[in-house]
Amino acid sequence: MPYRLDDTAADLRERLYFPEVIRGVGILMKQFLRNFFFGREKNPDMLARDRSLSQNATLQYPEERVPYPPGYRGLHRLVPREDGRPRCVACYMCATICPAQCIYIEAGELPDDPIEKYPTKFVIDELRCVVCGFCVEACPKDAIRMDSGEHAPPSYTRAAQIWDEKRLLRGPPVSYQYDPWLRRGASSIPAEKLAEMKANAKPFSTVATDEYAQTPGFSVKNLAAEAKARGETLARK
Amino acid sequence: MADETKPPAPATAAPKPPPGPPAPPPPKNPGFVTCTIDGREVVVKPGTNVVEAAKSVGVEIPYYCYHKRLSIAANCRMCLVEMSNAPGGKLMPGCQMPVAEGITVKTETARVKDQQRATLEFLLLNHPVDCAICDQAGECKLQDYYMKYDQKPSRLDMPKVEKGKRVPLGPMVVLDQERCILCTRCVRFMREVAKKPQLGVDERGNESFITTFDGQPLDSKYSGNVVDICPVGALTSTDLRFRGRVWFMSSARSVCTGCSRGCNTFLDYLKETTFRYRPRENEAVNQEWMCDDGRLSYKYLNSERVLTAFQGRGAAARDLPLPAAAEAAAGALRKAAAGGALAALFSPVASLEDLLVAALVAKEGLGLSEVYVGGRPDGWQDDFLKRADENPNRRGLELVAQAFGLALKPFAELGPAIEAGRVKAVWAVGTEVPDPAAAAAFARLETLVCQAYNHGPLAREATVLLPAAPHSEADGTYVNFEGRPQRFELAYWPRGGARPHWALAAELGRALGLAWRFQSARGVWDELGARVAGSLPGFEWDSLPSTQKRRGLVPLAAGTVDGRLPGYRERVPTDAVGDTRMDLLKVTR
Repeated sequence: MPYRLDDTAADLRERLYFPEVIRGVGILMKQFLRNFFFGREKNPDMLARDRSLSQNATLQYPEERVPYPPGYRGLHRLVPREDGRPRCVACYMCATICPAQCIYIEAGELPDDPIEKYPTKFVIDELRCVVCGFCVEACPKDAIRMDSGEHAPPSYTRAAQIWDEKRLLRGPPVSYQYDPWLRRGASSIPAEKLAEMKANAKPFSTVATDEYAQTPGFSVKNLAAEAKARGETLARK
Repeated sequence: MADETKPPAPATAAPKPPPGPPAPPPPKNPGFVTCTIDGREVVVKPGTNVVEAAKSVGVEIPYYCYHKRLSIAANCRMCLVEMSNAPGGKLMPGCQMPVAEGITVKTETARVKDQQRATLEFLLLNHPVDCAICDQAGECKLQDYYMKYDQKPSRLDMPKVEKGKRVPLGPMVVLDQERCILCTRCVRFMREVAKKPQLGVDERGNESFITTFDGQPLDSKYSGNVVDICPVGALTSTDLRFRGRVWFMSSARSVCTGCSRGCNTFLDYLKETTFRYRPRENEAVNQEWMCDDGRLSYKYLNSERVLTAFQGRGAAARDLPLPAAAEAAAGALRKAAAGGALAALFSPVASLEDLLVAALVAKEGLGLSEVYVGGRPDGWQDDFLKRADENPNRRGLELVAQAFGLALKPFAELGPAIEAGRVKAVWAVGTEVPDPAAAAAFARLETLVCQAYNHGPLAREATVLLPAAPHSEADGTYVNFEGRPQRFELAYWPRGGARPHWALAAELGRALGLAWRFQSARGVWDELGARVAGSLPGFEWDSLPSTQKRRGLVPLAAGTVDGRLPGYRERVPTDAVGDTRMDLLKVTR
């Protein structure tokens, strides 16, 4: 029983009937006007919305999102270094530890870089991924992260869920103090750029911080635009 | 009392000789040296060093520079141990010190452990920890020993010494001078085994590095071995570099097909791709070396493979199932055999089992009395390993021909016979020919049945092309030029529709009406091996002696029963004797 009904006799006001009718219409009008004029609180932060006037809690998914906790493991990304090349050195540690065996790597050789090895192919089958995050932990170079805060975008084809290195390489670039391309220089990085990179470089963090947890700047709209740019349609054919 | 004679003073005793070293104890086991290593009594031949003596009782003494087939440098200092006969109680290098009668060796004391840790710290001081890009990750003793003996973080608070990161020494070898720990194994190998002293150490102290002489590349034909013996990742192979991780690969005990020496190899593979050959120890054949050409000879196992049966030449070729192709081939061959215009071309690259069945079909199914010998053209030769004859099984072919009463005729006579019209049909077991130009004559044939590994000049002219599986995909035996039969084992199941030569020949025989049936290469040997066994005294088909255990992942006995790809774990334990894969089959199928 949702609430108690006292089995008591109606009092005089209830027996007069009309005052109660007017009161009921009043309640109705109050809710109508409140929803009509103070429809939805616009604060994008769902949990911080002011509900004093607005009662509407609807989430306009996917434009609006419930923020995930900081440790949420979203879609993978390959972290670029500042000259656009991936930090990945194709060491296969992520592919080795992956329990779902969803990572496929082929290594190639760079002729002009202190890091000779880079992935010519780096493919993740997001449908096989079990989102365990082992690949992120295994990576010795902080080259793969799951900090995008996003699910894999929906699609009607399985092939669209197989992400290659071009789609995975996104997000803000990262460099550390002892990265070989900073210490030794690389012919792909101009000298003034290198000096700037050296000035901004931080030590390699051994402790997980919030910075690793989620990187802002990803949105479904951007993902949809990317998909459109690739000529991939989400509509069923 | 003056006359009292004193007792004569005792003649001064002859001065005692200074106490010399105590006489060595009589040997406990005459003819051998007996000592104690970590409390265990060890009996070894005189002259055995401490490392080997300890190994014989299962005590591991770590080392980098010691190699049992090279001279002793004792410069890595990793094998220092406590020995009871050491002057001043110093720690002595176990690789250099022969054991003496009655001594005590301790390898687990605090002093020894401390020096091991200190040695590793010293070796890792300037070593770049770039295991992530190093091709030797998984086979590196620095990694192994760090985990076993050190496990301390670096105390270096200044930049590491920078040296050449990517120095191509020669066509086979790339050197990373930073990773080198100067054990000089490669230098000693080139001087003592390859007999071409092309490597040396330049500069001094922590500026030292391995290099060749100015302008002279490391171009010895045995340079690939320095990659194998390098205990760290300093020397890497240009061929394998970055192509695959060794910990994904499995190894099969195989035999190199580069020449008729038949060097014992490990064939490292992942899924259905062969990645490299490594020499496998066999004192009688190749010790533990192999030449560069042999090392690179695996490439035909991967490229341009024939994977389905074809009928018809050139554009008219269409693929069809193997039994239908065999029927078509048998019909054409039978017709040509009846007309006396049929020749068989056997390749000495095929294994003994292949040739046994092929000879059976040629003799009983087609009624031939002579076969032509194909095979690869001759190459270079030296007085160490490489033989000019680049066919691994020429002696095997001779034995089989002898056993079946087939006369062998040289390939050079086949071309003129085709030109003259005496031969109108050829059955080629293996399409390697010594003279590729002569293959043009085969275009004139009415019927050319080829069992081929790869698409090549001869396979292009085939009227019926049957896909053959090379030695990586089959079991079998090669007989090397000395008459030594050597077994190789299947690494992975045949690719696509390929089948070993013996299976293709047996299919032809079935189409020709022969009653022989074979289930496996082992079955072939059981049925037909007796005909050549007299020439191979003491050979047992199931004997594939294990010489070495592979470090790394512990092999899963039952292989792929966990559903993983075969490359992820050892499918066959390397120390298994006999054909354990037959037992595996019962588990997995």
